[in-house]
Amino acid sequence: MTQENVFQEFGRKSFRTLKNCLLGTTLACLTASPVLASDTRVALVPGGPHPYFAAWEKAGQDAKRDFGLSGADYRVPQKWELSQQNQLLESLLTQGYNGFLIFPGDPVGTNSIASELTAEGTPVIALAGCLKQPTPAVFCLGTDTGNSAYLGTKELIKTLGGKGKIAHFTGFLVDPNTQLRIDAVQKAANETGGAVEVIQVIADIDAPEPAEEKINAFLAAQADKVDGIVTTAWVPAVVAANSLRKIGDKRIKMVGIDHDEVVLKAIKDGYVHGTMLQNPYGQGYIGSFAMNKLRSGCKVNQNAPFKSTALTNQFIDSGTAFVGRDKVDTYIGAMEAVTKDLMASFESTYLVCN
Amino acid sequence: MPLQKLLKAEWSGLLLVVTLAIILIGYLKPSFLTPFNIQILLAAISVNMVIALAQMLIVGIGQMNLSVGAIGGLVAISFAGLMDVFQLPIPLAVLVGLLIGLAAGLFNGVIIAFTGISAFIITLASLSVFKGINLGITEAQPFYGVAESVKSFGNSSFIGTLPLLILPALLALIGVWFLLNRMRFGRHVLAVGASPTAAGLVGISVRNIVIGTHALSGLLAAVAGMMVVARLQIGQPTIGDDWLILSFAAPVIGGAVLAGGHVNVIGTLLGVTTIAIITQALVLFEIDPFIVQIFLGLLILWAVGINRLRDLRLTLFSKPA
Repeated sequence: MTQENVFQEFGRKSFRTLKNCLLGTTLACLTASPVLASDTRVALVPGGPHPYFAAWEKAGQDAKRDFGLSGADYRVPQKWELSQQNQLLESLLTQGYNGFLIFPGDPVGTNSIASELTAEGTPVIALAGCLKQPTPAVFCLGTDTGNSAYLGTKELIKTLGGKGKIAHFTGFLVDPNTQLRIDAVQKAANETGGAVEVIQVIADIDAPEPAEEKINAFLAAQADKVDGIVTTAWVPAVVAANSLRKIGDKRIKMVGIDHDEVVLKAIKDGYVHGTMLQNPYGQGYIGSFAMNKLRSGCKVNQNAPFKSTALTNQFIDSGTAFVGRDKVDTYIGAMEAVTKDLMASFESTYLVCN
Repeated sequence: MPLQKLLKAEWSGLLLVVTLAIILIGYLKPSFLTPFNIQILLAAISVNMVIALAQMLIVGIGQMNLSVGAIGGLVAISFAGLMDVFQLPIPLAVLVGLLIGLAAGLFNGVIIAFTGISAFIITLASLSVFKGINLGITEAQPFYGVAESVKSFGNSSFIGTLPLLILPALLALIGVWFLLNRMRFGRHVLAVGASPTAAGLVGISVRNIVIGTHALSGLLAAVAGMMVVARLQIGQPTIGDDWLILSFAAPVIGGAVLAGGHVNVIGTLLGVTTIAIITQALVLFEIDPFIVQIFLGLLILWAVGINRLRDLRLTLFSKPA
């Protein structure tokens, strides 16, 4: 094995768990058109480095293969800073990328760079997070984060027997989804008529050190007062799962988010009640497919059944699913099914192609 | 008398503030002084202490190291990755981690010393290099296969509530104190920080001191990175991203002069403790998450203000009669 191969293997280890799903080839069969060479070169650009987006790389590779794209590359800004993302996008434009799938570094601020890109004739799709309208992005494809947080909280409330005190741990305040999640958790609690109270929201902890420090401080102070925890960001879910395992507390029920190994193992071992899966692979794969179609002359179907969120009325839900202990071993299948369903009707529902 | 000596120490005011804060918060929120919370607090202080020492040494020579977090992050994912992918024994993984930190520090030091370019610029650039290597290796994915004994080390305690993580922090604390107060190299560090020209004129190799100090800083950042892996039980690529403000704030609160030549190890420990207490207090008092940033901003302003006052005081006292 060459040194390069060793490092590729080294870096992509975590991804191997997803590799075997054969999702790409299966989904390719669902598309009606034959695979023809395309000059579409898609850049999938998250807001910064984060494990959630890692599935976009495989999704891009599979989309490139299945739809004959010239490229579908995952490009990560080094930091969660709008300016760094903007610079990267400008650089990618000059490198010849002609379609952009962007997680907005800022729901309003990213509109500016999106306008620059579309002015050059390169379509933009907001991926995993939406841009606030008016926006040049043709649509937003992502998790309905508010709904996911709402459903997760409902699952938590159900397992608590409809009453209790809960805490909410969430991500970056600059993330366009964070406020939606805070509101959704509160909404689910409000619907209990006061039986469930959100006693604390800890935000801006989608980085390991602050998450570790603040979640542990919270548990040290409030572990005996809180009955449930809902986490709506990746790192807080991992840290909270570890913390509950560490203090050996199975009384506190927790509903996490995403599919980190730590969270999945904690579900198996009974420290976490379940997790709300998102569909990053499906976002990257379907987003690349849609971008190629748009560049091939298809238009967005203005009469499509878009959903509305606080940011946009052109939202497409990439799917979410609750996975508890009974389904934790088959979670990939659950998201495959969601992706297949969306992919099967995507072109006919959301696009108008001649 | 020991009490008079204590009161004369420049960090005595800070010690008083920390003591009063502990008493006040403990009174208002009794859970603050529970054994579990004390353990959490000490673990946070232990890791942050090593991070702060890594920056404090560089502040000592009148420079800054913006890449402390990037070095720590690179070592963290390397340490975890070596155990996960190559199943390296822990001592070997630790050794490689330390060597990476040392090499990264040397890289900074050599470029700064031989080019004369500002450390701010060089470490800003190397921050990108180290972070880029980190992302290139991990592709933003964590390494999970951390050895059980490493996880246990990061989450166990001894003599009641003392976390095991306090041991490397104490070693680093004592080592840096000894270096600065009992060794010639340490005195040269402060001499270079106070005036590189004067230090050069008395025969101190400014170049060697700069290189050596950056190498030590890299080594300490490496230790901190591995401590965080032990604490978190995974090798997260974002480890280190949040270290910068803390790394400057703690030494400055503790008495370091940003212009160089004066640092205080005990003061830095108290600075780290102050920040850890404030961080915990924000959680304990359920401060609105959207307001937390304001408190942190005020903390930095406070630190900078203290530094400015100290500069003024030094200037006043150094004036000839």
